[in-house]
Amino acid sequence: MNLEDELRAALRCKEPPPDFAARVMARVAAAPARPAGRAWVRWTAALAASVVLAAGALEYRHYEGERAKEQVLLAVRIAATKLNKAHRKIQMLNHRSNS
Amino acid sequence: MPERAPSGAGELEFAGLVRQHQAMVYSMAWHFLRDRAVAEELAQEVFLSLHQHLAELESAAHVQNWLRRVASQRALDVVRRRQRRPMVSLEDAPEPVAIAPTGDPMLGGVLRKLVAALPEKARAIVILRYQEDLDPTEIAAVLQIPVGTVKSQLQRTLALLREKLMRTVGEVRL
Repeated sequence: MNLEDELRAALRCKEPPPDFAARVMARVAAAPARPAGRAWVRWTAALAASVVLAAGALEYRHYEGERAKEQVLLAVRIAATKLNKAHRKIQMLNHRSNS
Repeated sequence: MPERAPSGAGELEFAGLVRQHQAMVYSMAWHFLRDRAVAEELAQEVFLSLHQHLAELESAAHVQNWLRRVASQRALDVVRRRQRRPMVSLEDAPEPVAIAPTGDPMLGGVLRKLVAALPEKARAIVILRYQEDLDPTEIAAVLQIPVGTVKSQLQRTLALLREKLMRTVGEVRL
């Protein structure tokens, strides 16, 4: 008698009850749904979403920069207008005092 | 989009996989746990998990290895949970009743009981070696332990089983 052969015989596969597969299929049908798709599809979708978000953030920063530039230019234009007015007033005053 | 339960061809294909591997998964659980109800529940859960991971498995061999690994891990988990309660180790287990000296159903029954009383890692190794006929390298891959550990555990376990059996059937050369 060989112990290893006896172990092989003792541990040979046993069939489960006859309705085992049917019960598995019933549980599969009753199991809650889970997100479909292969892992690489999910990873690709996540990567694409990240790229879109990053592009959006860059675009927003660009838009904010443009807006800030316009505000600075407006401020410069207002300041220039005021300076021109002040300059004209000074010239008028000088003109009066000279005449 | 949520995945629905398999239907049509997918259902038939998965049912075919269950039928193809059910004896292997159920037997691993049964030899581990020696409890038909728990073994069947464990085997069903392994197949439910297979259904959820099926899209990630690329070949028939991959499916088989995955089933072996998950069935082993889940059986080990059940054994560990049970061990929180006091258990009788193989060393302390009562000797089996006297049996006939040649291979017969009684000897098989005694061996199965002795295997079921082994520490969980040794039990997993013996089941994968003699039920699934895996070599030590394959067992090491399934259980994610070093090959050297598998070989030394296997040698020690065989010596222990031989000694236990010799006490019962002393005159038989094992």
